[in-house]
Amino acid sequence: MWRLCLMLIVMLAACEQPTPPARQAAQATVQIGQRMGAEPDPGFARATVPRPFEFPADHGAHPAYATEWWYFTGNLHSDDGARFGYQLTLFRIGLTPDPAADDSDWRTGQIYMGHLAVSDLERRLHHSRERFSRAAVGLAGAQSDPLRVWLGPWSIEGEPGDPFPVRLDAADSDMAIALTLERGNRPLVLQGERGLSRKGDSPGNASYYYSYTRLPTRGEIRIENRQYRVSGNSWFDREWSSSALATDQAGWDWFALQLDDGRDLMFYRLRGKDGAAQRFSSGVLVDTDGTTHTLSLDSVQAVPMRTWQDEDGVAYPVAWHLSIPQHALDLNIEAAFDEQAMRHTVHYWEGAVVVSGSHSGVGYLELSGYVE
Amino acid sequence: MIRHFVSPLLLRAGLRHHTRHRWQAALMLAGVMMGVAVVVAVDLANAAASASFARSASQLRGAATHRLIGTQGYLPQTLYTALLTTPGHPPMAPVISTRVRVEGMQERFRLVGIDLFAERSMHRDTGSTISGFDRLRTWLTRPGVVVLSTSAADHLGVTIGDVLKVDHQGRPAALEILDVDDDDSLASRDLLVADIATAQALSAMHGDISHIDLILDTEAEAWLKERLPGWARLLSVDEQTQGIVGLSAAFELNLTAMSLLALLVGAFLIFNALSLSIVQRRNLLGRLRALGVTDTQIHRLILAEAVALGIVGTLLGSVLGIALGQGLTTLVAATVSELYYDVPADALQLNAWSLAKGALLGLGGTVLAAWFPAAQAARTPPLTTLSRAALEQSIRQRLPRLAIAGGILMAAGLLLAFEFPGGVLAGFAGLFVMLLGAALLTPLALRLLHRALDRLPLGGIRRMAVRDLDRHLSRLGTAAAALMVALSAGVGVAVMVESMRGAVSGWLGDLLSADLYIASEAFADGATLPRSIVTQATRLAPVSAASLYRNRSLYSDNRRITLVAADLAPQSRTGFRFVAQTDGDVWQRFDRGELLISEPFAHRLQLRAGESLRLPTPAGDVEFPVAAVFRDYASEHGRVFIARPHYRDHWSDTAVNTVALFSDRNAAVLLQAARVQFAAEDGLVFTAARAIHDESMAVFDRTFRITEALRLLSLLVAFAGILSALMAVQLERRKEFAVLRALGLTRWQLSRLIVVESVLIGLLAALVAIPVGLLMAWVLTAAIQLRAFGWSMPFLISASPLWSALVLGAGAAFLAALYPAWRASVDDPAPQLREA
Repeated sequence: MWRLCLMLIVMLAACEQPTPPARQAAQATVQIGQRMGAEPDPGFARATVPRPFEFPADHGAHPAYATEWWYFTGNLHSDDGARFGYQLTLFRIGLTPDPAADDSDWRTGQIYMGHLAVSDLERRLHHSRERFSRAAVGLAGAQSDPLRVWLGPWSIEGEPGDPFPVRLDAADSDMAIALTLERGNRPLVLQGERGLSRKGDSPGNASYYYSYTRLPTRGEIRIENRQYRVSGNSWFDREWSSSALATDQAGWDWFALQLDDGRDLMFYRLRGKDGAAQRFSSGVLVDTDGTTHTLSLDSVQAVPMRTWQDEDGVAYPVAWHLSIPQHALDLNIEAAFDEQAMRHTVHYWEGAVVVSGSHSGVGYLELSGYVE
Repeated sequence: MIRHFVSPLLLRAGLRHHTRHRWQAALMLAGVMMGVAVVVAVDLANAAASASFARSASQLRGAATHRLIGTQGYLPQTLYTALLTTPGHPPMAPVISTRVRVEGMQERFRLVGIDLFAERSMHRDTGSTISGFDRLRTWLTRPGVVVLSTSAADHLGVTIGDVLKVDHQGRPAALEILDVDDDDSLASRDLLVADIATAQALSAMHGDISHIDLILDTEAEAWLKERLPGWARLLSVDEQTQGIVGLSAAFELNLTAMSLLALLVGAFLIFNALSLSIVQRRNLLGRLRALGVTDTQIHRLILAEAVALGIVGTLLGSVLGIALGQGLTTLVAATVSELYYDVPADALQLNAWSLAKGALLGLGGTVLAAWFPAAQAARTPPLTTLSRAALEQSIRQRLPRLAIAGGILMAAGLLLAFEFPGGVLAGFAGLFVMLLGAALLTPLALRLLHRALDRLPLGGIRRMAVRDLDRHLSRLGTAAAALMVALSAGVGVAVMVESMRGAVSGWLGDLLSADLYIASEAFADGATLPRSIVTQATRLAPVSAASLYRNRSLYSDNRRITLVAADLAPQSRTGFRFVAQTDGDVWQRFDRGELLISEPFAHRLQLRAGESLRLPTPAGDVEFPVAAVFRDYASEHGRVFIARPHYRDHWSDTAVNTVALFSDRNAAVLLQAARVQFAAEDGLVFTAARAIHDESMAVFDRTFRITEALRLLSLLVAFAGILSALMAVQLERRKEFAVLRALGLTRWQLSRLIVVESVLIGLLAALVAIPVGLLMAWVLTAAIQLRAFGWSMPFLISASPLWSALVLGAGAAFLAALYPAWRASVDDPAPQLREA
């Protein structure tokens, strides 16, 4: 998954829209997105060749690279069967590769952006919130051992050494999550070529990318005034890069599916401005024993089946048909409910989905670059 | 509607009178107009100043409902981090606020450091101009970049990319202008906005911030209060602005009172002019009564006239007031900027409320002033043959009653000003009632003075003028009373200002007893002196004694307290004048750690010597006994002195802001020694007590320029009054003048008669105005200043305001007489005589 694209395309589009007065205060931060469209400062390191990953060090921040994130999504259910989805993402955005001036504790070249969303699939409720902060005076930051990434009161905290179990804590007036994620029995999956995930032709237009695809999760979730004890599975993506979007790329459709037969499927469909899937689209199928099968564009057929328009009139393809004949997969992927658009600095759709067809399951779908 | 009130025929008769006496009508109008104009102008200027303050405050505040401050004047940034990383925290934003001097500019600029991301939650425009990734990157990562408003940029004469050389507490710094905010949402001309990191570096507040702004509801407030350490204070926005607005409220009240004074003078004029027109019309009114017009109708007629007059006068006055307000706004802005906070001078905005107030006062004042003359007119007997002499007689008979009423009003006014609770407002109300009483007493006082004058051995025209005057007192009385009010206000304010000036000057002299003061150039911004300089300074050869001062701001119970920790040399101690003290030796108590509080401070907190004051120390609140209250004009809010060793124990702070040096030898020798010793040191100022004294007095004088302007305005109104009264009298006496001419009086002699009469009235009014003015000054100093600021001061009377009242009174009357005198002299007496 290459969410940089998501950030970049949607943010760029958002910037071009006339800014309504109410959003003027947010203007400054909206513009952060511009940076993702521009060629990053050449001083930043680029992901050009596969590298050996070192843990727990690589769980922490890589400030030599321009952009980085800790991306959690998951499908959970309460004891009485109510189903929920959640997303907690903390993004690190490097303003400059140079060390910050030391004139003040508040001076830093690093800022953090966070997105929190909770979906109640039965009641069709979706709440989301965005936060920003500079990574200074303890307001936000990341450390690797023990893992701790935080943005204000939102935090991702692990144990010394092996980060698991990892605890996620984030709340807002309308929602809260307090979840513990176990390692489970799936190994860490290095995406792309030993963790180097290419996104385009030019060298360095790639990211370092690894995932934990199925993390047994339990804890508490609050949506509006109702609190639930929940359990289920989470998906954790880690990615950092200094790449820029190719000029002909428009957006991104990303699938993270956990099938009931125990297999996990990730596929990202890089979309050109002509709407067609591009050749750097790619994915991975993870067997129950952790064996991975790389999926190229040729081996996957992804067809949008239905679109839904959000309040801003942006049409998102929220239902898909995905077939991978090679692995006998013929899947219908449908939003658990449609109203899961993320309308913040970045406009995109990210929500819980239900899988049916040849196999059943749950997952998360992310749709970016649909804002005109 | 007016038809039901008064018949059109009557109204026409009334109007006819005024068209025949155009001059008189015009002068009546002028009275209303001037009164309304001054009220409107002052109100507009006041409104402009406070609106501009409110605007800049609300811009900086945004949606914030509360502010968190530290009792020591700052907050550790760890508190913000701790709160922000706690789940459930309310929206909040950290701010570092400081003042800098910009090279080449006189006033100081506010430098506000913000966190752009936090500003978002406050719904503030601050920093909204930082758009685009590159700008944001520059803003956050490059030290020393600022944004400012277009008005600030124009004021400074700078543009994007320019570098401002600034000075913070003596440390130079360069600020690069990243952007100028076009939409001018930062209207403040004295505001520089920077990233909080830049502000922290510049202000050297390492580890600390100035305050945290918050949006709190009841629940969030409770949440926060549970988590606040003892040294943090939560203020609501109201509480927080109160302090600053309170500063200027006293100033505004002063201005408003002055403008009401102008209106009062205006009301006298209306009263005067209407009374006159009734006297002139007594035959017509008598005939009307004989024709069956009722007294109620007559009463209404006169009131309708007054209302018409009031409406036209108010309209014209409003227009004039707006024009006048432009000029006044500049003056008020200059004063407010000097004393409190920077106000752009071009901020005059028409506001309906100011105009409404002017209209209400103009109309109301006119009707009130017309009531008595209207009643008088209504009482006109049918077909009156009442002679002028009879009228004068009846007025003369009423004088004692009028005087008694005046005396009662004066007493009531004084009682109100001194004894009645109700703060400054009661003080001013008392002042007005007293003044009204004095005005009612004026005709009697004029008669008494006149009698004394009559005994003087005068001859010729002068004797004639004196005798003549007695006959015209009924008409000239009110004009003289108006002039008296204006002149007495002048005397009162001048004596008050002089008393204050004397008190301040004396106080400075007492307190600035040292031969030399050493401070950092940025002393006013709170800069401290390096320890080595303090030590070296006290060890300079010619130094016989030294006092050290440390100034601090503390916050306690939503109040800012200026704490001065001092090592006081015996010479400095003798400068204190105690107005209240506990038993025993004050200085022994002071050295034991008891406090000396200034009079305004004692007044503000209702604190007496012997009681105790709680002060916030880093270890929590500590009660300190108050040893004495001393006279002090340093600030309206007051100061608290504590002995430095005790301050050091409680606050662990050894810094020194000012060193005062005493020498047995010549002060110049001392200054020379200091200059030589500190030749290599930048940013130090050596000031002789004399220079501080002079500078302070210069500021004082600039502050009262506006008072001077208003004094002149009310005098102008009075001038219009005396002119109108004289004109009316002279016009009415044309026949008499004709007879005088026929009897052999030359043109020149007639002119002289008129001028001498007029000047006599002016002089008499001034003579009455002097005691009334002194009384007013006494009320102003002893009642109002004390109520407003807690300042008590010795009452100082010098000759110059008294002389100037006489000169102004006579001068105004002389000028007012010139035209009538000229008219009388050029009139051909023949037709007037034939008509008779």
